[in-house]
Amino acid sequence: MSSLKKTFTDVDLAIIGAVLALMVIGILSIYSAGVTAEGVLVSKEYVKQIAWAALGLVLMALATLPDHQRYRDYSVFVYAAFLLILAYTRFFGRVVNGARSWIGVGEFGIQPSEFAKIATILVLAQYLSASEHESSMRRLVVSFGIILLPVGLILSQPDFGTSLVFFPILIFMIFVAGLDRRYILFILLSGLLTFAFTVLPLWEEYILPAPTKFLFLFYRAPYAYYLAGATLLILALAAWGYVSYKKSYYFWIAYACLVFAGSLGASMLAHKVLKEYQIMRLIVFMDPSIDPRGSGWNILQSITAIGSGGMFGKGFLQGTQSHYRYLPQQSTDFIFSIIAEEWGFAGGFVVFALFYLIQRRCAAIIVSLRDRYASLVVAGVMGMIFFHFLINAGMAMGIMPITGIPLFFLSYGGSSLWAVLLAVGLVLGISARRYRS
Amino acid sequence: MNHSSANPEASPKRRTELLALASLALFLVYSAYLFYLQVVKGNEYRNKATTIARQSRIIPAQRGEIYDRDYQLPLVLNTDSFAVDLVPAGLPAARRDEVFERLAQTLGIPLEELRRRVPPAYYHLYQPIEIAGAVGYGTVAKIAERLDEFPGVSWHAKPVRNYLETGSLSQVIGYVGDITKDELKLLYNQGYQSGDVIGKAGIEKQYDLVLRGKDGREYRVVDVRGKSVDSGPSTVVPPTMGSNVVLTIDSRLQRIAEKALGQRMGSVVVLKPATGEVLALVSYPWYNPNLFTGLGAGNAYARLLADPNTPLINRTIQSSYPPASTFKTVLTAGILEEDAFPPDKKVLCQGAVTYGDRVFNCHIKRPGHGWLDLEGALAQSCDIYFWQVGRDNLGVERIVTYAKEFGFGKLTGIDLPGEIEGFVPTPQWKERRFHEKWLGGDTMNLAIGQGYTLVTPLQVADMMAMIVNDGVVYRPHVLKELRDPASGAVIRRVEPETILRSRISRETFAELRRDLRSVVTSGTVRFPMSTKAVEVAGKTGTAEVGLKDRWHSWFASYGPASGPVEDMIVVVVMVEASNAWEWWAPYASNIIYQAAFANQSYDEAVDSLGLRYLVPRQERQE
Repeated sequence: MSSLKKTFTDVDLAIIGAVLALMVIGILSIYSAGVTAEGVLVSKEYVKQIAWAALGLVLMALATLPDHQRYRDYSVFVYAAFLLILAYTRFFGRVVNGARSWIGVGEFGIQPSEFAKIATILVLAQYLSASEHESSMRRLVVSFGIILLPVGLILSQPDFGTSLVFFPILIFMIFVAGLDRRYILFILLSGLLTFAFTVLPLWEEYILPAPTKFLFLFYRAPYAYYLAGATLLILALAAWGYVSYKKSYYFWIAYACLVFAGSLGASMLAHKVLKEYQIMRLIVFMDPSIDPRGSGWNILQSITAIGSGGMFGKGFLQGTQSHYRYLPQQSTDFIFSIIAEEWGFAGGFVVFALFYLIQRRCAAIIVSLRDRYASLVVAGVMGMIFFHFLINAGMAMGIMPITGIPLFFLSYGGSSLWAVLLAVGLVLGISARRYRS
Repeated sequence: MNHSSANPEASPKRRTELLALASLALFLVYSAYLFYLQVVKGNEYRNKATTIARQSRIIPAQRGEIYDRDYQLPLVLNTDSFAVDLVPAGLPAARRDEVFERLAQTLGIPLEELRRRVPPAYYHLYQPIEIAGAVGYGTVAKIAERLDEFPGVSWHAKPVRNYLETGSLSQVIGYVGDITKDELKLLYNQGYQSGDVIGKAGIEKQYDLVLRGKDGREYRVVDVRGKSVDSGPSTVVPPTMGSNVVLTIDSRLQRIAEKALGQRMGSVVVLKPATGEVLALVSYPWYNPNLFTGLGAGNAYARLLADPNTPLINRTIQSSYPPASTFKTVLTAGILEEDAFPPDKKVLCQGAVTYGDRVFNCHIKRPGHGWLDLEGALAQSCDIYFWQVGRDNLGVERIVTYAKEFGFGKLTGIDLPGEIEGFVPTPQWKERRFHEKWLGGDTMNLAIGQGYTLVTPLQVADMMAMIVNDGVVYRPHVLKELRDPASGAVIRRVEPETILRSRISRETFAELRRDLRSVVTSGTVRFPMSTKAVEVAGKTGTAEVGLKDRWHSWFASYGPASGPVEDMIVVVVMVEASNAWEWWAPYASNIIYQAAFANQSYDEAVDSLGLRYLVPRQERQE
């Protein structure tokens, strides 16, 4: 009993404070999003969000209770169970917004993909903490395999945005786990280059006034295949050189070739897999005025809403873009826009600072932890929150493409809120016990 | 490999500091950008948000017009008309019921219908919702005069299709309607949007993409409440009108064929075999496509759908029937080409033959046709001959092969939606379907076009086209060319496209043409095919469908029988057994040939053939 009490007294108050503050801001904004221009409240979303927040806080408290030494050995089972649930959802789930991503009874449903992130964090932490003496290469490949299963299932729902979140989780965790930096750099470079190659043909076609004479080499068949083939040839030669002479420049040539060829291949695959509306989102990300009434509408309205907020905002319930319904999805994807419109830079800055505070506390907890498993769990949660914030806030300001990833603690929706509160609960429990042996 | 993790204890700590630095960088960069957006450029966005927003309005494109092959008078036009819109959020809640009632009354639509189109869930929307289409100028003027009594109501031009030629051509031209949710799902990627008008049948459906053109847009600047702000000239992207469609249909022939068929359930195909152009395509009963525009369209459509005579079905391509004796043409081709039975050798017809435990009766009962060779058997349409030679000499496999050679059981690929394939049975099919062996009796049924075989009138026309073209069939088509709506210049002309090229020899086809000619000169139709205007060759068919004194009546023919193929037309008339028995198919064909080649009107043709006693003068029933 005394240890339970100790858990609650040793808890990280900064994180709790930031989470509570964000949730209150979120509920107020969701309430505001439900009010029309005439001042009539037309949506009961805020009531549901209050209920979810209350239940979520209970979940968070429960998650702090078990000692991580106890549940680390069950990680694999939790992960396996979520894979099964994801597979079930894939085939028998409910279709919401075009993706078969929900399961539930009647009006109540959850999105298992949100919780699968946490299950994946747990199992990755267990594997990485137990495999410290293995080679970096092997650890990377196995870790990749662990995230690819849920990523594949979620992609097939299809929910592109949610499946992306697994990659930053992986990067944060293998970074903390001490994998060779070259591999982490490899993933980052490949990701960036893949994105660049994917938007390249769109950029040339829609943004550039006249097509260049050479860029088509990177995307038009068969030239792109020749290019990829040539790169692979150089790769093979360099790999042979490295094996024979052990000169490090051979290694870096092979490394660069692999990043290049891999990204080229991935971008060609992306153009086959991405739906037309997703391609359109990439185009309007580069220039929303190409389709101002269609795909570019959301971005333009969001930027206008934020920009018109000024230093201190238009005041609570006074936003024009939001209340006249110019701003779409104001309670979910674009919740930040309504906050920034009504509370101005001051409000937006406070939200940013609260997110930074949570991140900073997570980093501090990792440094103070002696247990490798626990520190990896915290790193995974940190990566997850980091990426959601990066993408959603960036999207609202028009500097990230639209992917439909919610802003944690603020966006309307039970599943993502519960999932992140659960994750925060784990972090709080770990931090409260860190000085016990 | 492991040189980077030389100090394993210090590494995680340093790395975590790096992660913290990354989130600090993100925090700073985002804050700076937010500051730039809100404070540095704040005024710019504030102006944009509080005073102006761009709105666009669609200017509908004119749908292309449809002409017959002479490109003289349009068959379909667009009439000016309006659609009335309501912006629900522009209608104050207190006045909602009152305005709804007034709207329903002014527009002449039921109040429930209006409430269904604007459900309470839409009340806060700023997007205009179309509440009535095909509204006349007078009604719109009434609303415009008292606009203050209709808050939130606006209107836009929405041209309505006006079908000038409403007779049997309606089956070819089809009609248009508002796009449904299901259609939108399928066609969204082709640029269709909700509220679009789309072709639902016939040419309107087949060539919708070329007919519809491209909608234009007018951008105007409005304040946040949707009120127009005067800020210089508005930008207009003009609409592109759809292309004009010129059909291969010959209006004169179409009208003659329509009258020759009269009010009999059935169909007529007139085809130009040298190109595949369809000159006339009649299916009775037809419908008036103008019923689908305007108010009450749903009821009109429901009535047509429930009509037991299925007026929405184009019987030339969407109905299949037993080919009956017209199928003997296929057997004759097979017997000649395969040398399965000497054409000069005679078979005795005594009016009946016993096979298995069944008696098969020829259509001439005792004493029968007597001794007949192949030419005589085709001319007299003797069942006994084709039963015996088909079963014992040609055999089922070769009959099936030749049926397929002539294109039966396959789509002709005509450019009209909804064509069906018909059916050619095989022994394997029968065993799979009924678990029964294919028997000699089945072959006998097959040989005279009865039993399981089903063909469409257009397929029968293609069979005749193959015979006159020495084995080549061109894709039947009703589109002749597309023309630019403004200049009238031809954009695309449809060229003949070979769809069948038979390996049957020219000699066989020549012999077959001689035999088909004797059907008219000395065979079954020598009395009904009395026209002197042109030499006709062809084959009759009388299909038993289980009614005691009624049969499907076929006549598949071409003329001039000895002329060059460029001058020829193929005429197929099919009159269903549901009509009173008149053996009408050859008579109708007779009138069509007379009118077509003597350049007479329908009534002149009837009179000059002396058929007035059969057809009372009548006006066309719409």
